[in-house]
Order: sequence, then C-alpha cells, then structure tokens
Amino acid sequence: MDALTGRRILVVEDESLVAMLIETILEDLGCIPVGPAATVPEALSLIEGDTAIEAALLDVNVAGQQVFPVAEALAARGVPIVFSTGYGEAGLEDQWRGRPTLQKPFTEAAVEQAIRQALGA
Amino acid sequence: MDDLVKADDRAVDLATAFDASPNPYMLLTPELRYAGMNQAYLDVTRRRREDLMGRHVMEAFDANGDTTNADLLRHSFEKVLATGETDRIAILHYAIPLPDDAGALRYVDKYWSCTHTPVRDDGGRLRFILQHTTDITELHALRSQAGRGRADEGQAVDALLGGRVMRQAEDIQEKNRQLETERTRLFELFLQAPGFIAVLSGPDHVFELTNAAYATVIGRTGVEGRTLRDALPDLAGQGFYELLDNVYQTGEPYEGKNQKIRLQRTPDGPLEDLFLNFIYQPIRDGAGKIAGIFVQGHDVTETVLAAERQKLMIDELNHRVKNTLATVQSIAMQTARHHPDPKGFAEAFQSRLMSLSHTHDLLTRSHWEGADLRAVLQHETDARGGPTRIVPNGPPVALDPAQVLSLGMVFHELATNAGKYGALSTPDGRVFVDWSVADQRAPRLHLTWRESGGPPAQPPQKHGFGSRLIERNVRHDLAGEIELHYGPEGFRADISMPLRRGE
Repeated sequence: MDALTGRRILVVEDESLVAMLIETILEDLGCIPVGPAATVPEALSLIEGDTAIEAALLDVNVAGQQVFPVAEALAARGVPIVFSTGYGEAGLEDQWRGRPTLQKPFTEAAVEQAIRQALGA
Repeated sequence: MDDLVKADDRAVDLATAFDASPNPYMLLTPELRYAGMNQAYLDVTRRRREDLMGRHVMEAFDANGDTTNADLLRHSFEKVLATGETDRIAILHYAIPLPDDAGALRYVDKYWSCTHTPVRDDGGRLRFILQHTTDITELHALRSQAGRGRADEGQAVDALLGGRVMRQAEDIQEKNRQLETERTRLFELFLQAPGFIAVLSGPDHVFELTNAAYATVIGRTGVEGRTLRDALPDLAGQGFYELLDNVYQTGEPYEGKNQKIRLQRTPDGPLEDLFLNFIYQPIRDGAGKIAGIFVQGHDVTETVLAAERQKLMIDELNHRVKNTLATVQSIAMQTARHHPDPKGFAEAFQSRLMSLSHTHDLLTRSHWEGADLRAVLQHETDARGGPTRIVPNGPPVALDPAQVLSLGMVFHELATNAGKYGALSTPDGRVFVDWSVADQRAPRLHLTWRESGGPPAQPPQKHGFGSRLIERNVRHDLAGEIELHYGPEGFRADISMPLRRGE
C-alpha cells in the first residue's frame, strides 16, 4: 500500500472543472478528497468541522479572495499545504514562499510530487 | 535750483542731491534761458549763479570765437525742442578759463560729452531741458595721440571717434535692450512652462518664485515669501524637507523618479497621492556659495497609475489564461475517461471546447462585464436548432462573467444530452426553458429546463462527466441547487441560484 492511500486532502478551488480534475487525480493516487470548497468562508468552516484533514491543496485566488486566511488556519493546526496558482510563486505572500506550489495548468505527476513533498511521504 | 523747489519735501531733497552731484548739470527754459544749475556746473564754468539765472544760454556761452561748437550746441537744443526727444553731443570742444600759476586766467582746451533731456510737466508739456555734461578731455587726448601724424587728424578724427564712441554706446544700449527682452521672454516661459518650477531661497527654503503649474500641483497660491515648512505643512514626515536640506547643505542635486507625494490640494480636503518626476538643483551665487534651490519637474500621476492598471490587467489576463488552460486540461482528461475511442473523444472534446469558446466571445463583446441569461442560452443552443426547438421564456437577467461561464457549460451539457438521448433526438421534440427572479432584495433565479415530445427519460446507469459537470457547476460555482427528474413525458431539470453572490 502506498503512503498516499487513504490520506484526506482538502481541496480549495473555485472553478469546478479544475476542482473535478484535482479530485480525479487525487482519487487516482488513492487519496480521499475533502470538499472542494469554492470560497474562503466555506473552506474555513470545512476545517472547523473536520479534524482529520492531513494536507490541503489551495488555489491562491478563490472567488476574488486570497486564500491566505485558510492557509493560516491550516498552518496553526500543523496541516501541510500545497498552493496552486496561475500567477506562479510571485502570487504568494512572503511568509508562504518556499511551500510546495503548483503552477496552473499542472500535470498529474506534478500534483503527486507536491502532495508527497507536503506529506513527507 | 529754487525754481525746482516745490512745496513738498521730496523736491527739496532732490534739489539738494542735484546740487551735491559732482557731475555738472544745468536746466534751461524752452526759451533757452537758464532756469537752474548745480554747484559743479558753476565750478566748471567759473560763473556765479546770479550772473547766469535768466540769461539766454547762447549769450552766456562764451565760445571763445569757436562758432562751430556754438552751432552744435544750439542745434542740439533746437532738436530737443522740435522732437521732444533726448539729444546727445558725443564730443564738444569747449575751452574754459582757468587760473594759471601766476593767478592769470588762461583758456584751457576741454572736451565734453553732453546729454540734453526734455523735462515735462504733468500735462506732458516741455518745461525744461536738462543738460548733463561729462568731461572726456583725457579720453580725447588719448585718442588724439593714437591718430597723430595722420592727414585726417582734427575734426574728422573727432567726428570719427565721437561716432565710434556713440556707436559703441548705442551698441551696448541695444544689447541691454535685447538682454532685457530675452530676460522677460525667459521669465514668461518660466511662468507658463508646462512643468512645475519653483525657486527656493536660503537654508529655510523660502519660496521666491513659482509658476502656474507648481500652483496646480500643490493646490494653493501665494506661497511666495513663506518657508517651505510653513507653506506646505502637509509634507511633514514624507522626507521632502530633509531632501531639500541635504541639497542645500551638500550642493548635490537630487533627482526624484515617479516619487509619491501626499498633498492636501483643497482646503479641508483629503490628502491626495501624486507621483512626480523632479530635480532639486542647487543655485550658487557669484562667489560659488549655495544661495537656494531650483525645483523643476512634472506631474506623472496619470502615467504611473496607467502603468499600475496595465500591470494589474496583465496579471489578471495571465491568471485567466492559466485558469482557462487548466479548465481545458480538465475537460480533456475527464472526456478521455468517458470516451475510450479516439473518435468519440475528439467529438465530445471539440464540442465542449467550442462551447467554452462561444461563451468567451459573448463575454468579450461586453468587455468581460457579463451577459444576459437569454443571450447565454441562445449562444449555447443555436447548434441544436435555436429558439424554435429550445424555447426561451423569462425576464432579462444580468449575469456576471463567472455565472456566464458556468451557466454556459450547464446549457451546453443539457443540450448535448437532449440531442443524444432526450427530446432533441426526435424531429418534433422541444425544450421549454422558463425562468423567473424572486425576492428583489436577495434576488434568486429559478429556471426550469423541460423536455417534451421525446422518448421517456431514464435515469442514467452510469454517472457521466456531463451530468457531474452540470451538478458541480450549479452547486459549486453558482452556489445553487439542482434537481433532475426523469419521467415518461421526458427529462426535467430545476435550477435555483442566487444572482448576487458574496453581497
């Protein structure tokens, strides 16, 4: 059994087609997608109600809002984070630089690598 | 000088100053009779005031037999009377009696340069002619030596030299006039220059001069004579005082590029952000010491803001392009999963790609401000027979770009399913799309997609990409609800969604 099997990954992404793609990739990897959340408040309430989230894949810009409050809530719980963005790493706030970041559009291999890096698996 | 002395003290002061001047002056009436003279004139001519007052000048003028010079003088006076303009005699040869060592009077050759100026009363009438005399004997002697031995020595030389002196004097005068004109012109250019200009004086930066553009930038006038800190207190804490202090102390010019400045440009108004390109250039006095600072620059606020807007737009464009590519990637991948055969994949993939492209066209037309629901529906269903087969019925509903993209995909998937399995798979089947908007304070769209005249609808055995796409778009992207009904009369979808999300 792979180290990714059964891991619960939160997905925050406002475009459903992209969210569906991520879910499909995660399912192929054996992970269990949580969400997806399409807004920052939705993501925050998902985190509140689910203590078993093991990692998160966050779109930097969700429904016109920056995702960083979600990142802070996750970081406070020690949950590893992967960012996804169309802006590249320049779209990240300084404190989040160096975290695994997926550049849109991304390949299945890139998602797998970023998730493994975040989970240390 | 008593004739000049009027009732007021100013005239008395003037007369005293006149009398004290080392330059000989005398005043003639229009009849060319002496009306006054100063002490220097009396000293040079060795006359007494009471002997000259009231006498005709040509009668008192002792030409010592030299009628040429007497004629020159008379001619000059007459010219002043006739033209009312100042006349000059460059060189006048006039011998005056001086006592020799033994005390006897001897005539000594003297050369003079005379200016005859008309003096008018308040009504503009010529009241006096003022004669101002300069002793140029030594100058003349030098010039005569230079021309000695030449045939044309004498009066011709005098005339020539006199002419040259006059020409030089006139040249200098003309140059001064040109310089003055140039100075005035530069000053006017300075005041009207499109860039802002200010001249600051001294270590406290006192405004000496500002132009109209400067007044526009700072939003106030009348700063002349005030210090920078007093006139522009709103600059405190922005570093400009310190920059100017530094330029004044070190003599190093300072150049600011796209520098932000906050100014209160209307009384009691808010602080406004401007961006300026400018230079602080030290002004040095004749001795090389720094006397002030020349401030010159341009308001580049519009340019800087336009550049910022452009950067934002490029970032946004990049974001959208990357997101669209991710969307296309997702469509490709998921379509491939449900169409193992290449032909079926190509067909379904192209159809979805074209749908996305049509929605983009619609949004481009409105500069990405949004579109009306009916237009979106029509755009996505035209390929399936248009409004005769898919019948729209509802009020105008303005949708934002994200809603347009999502509903566009939903309509495309619904129409595709209807064409493959539903009402549009038969020649007579039709789809009725009815919608309404409820609750104007938090408006909600209710839309029904009802198929009629086709085969009975069966729930799908396998949850396909199309139906997942529809459900996801409505619930996830549009924050709405969707119910799908399958029955003998055909397929029906009920969609309900908020129109103003996040408000």
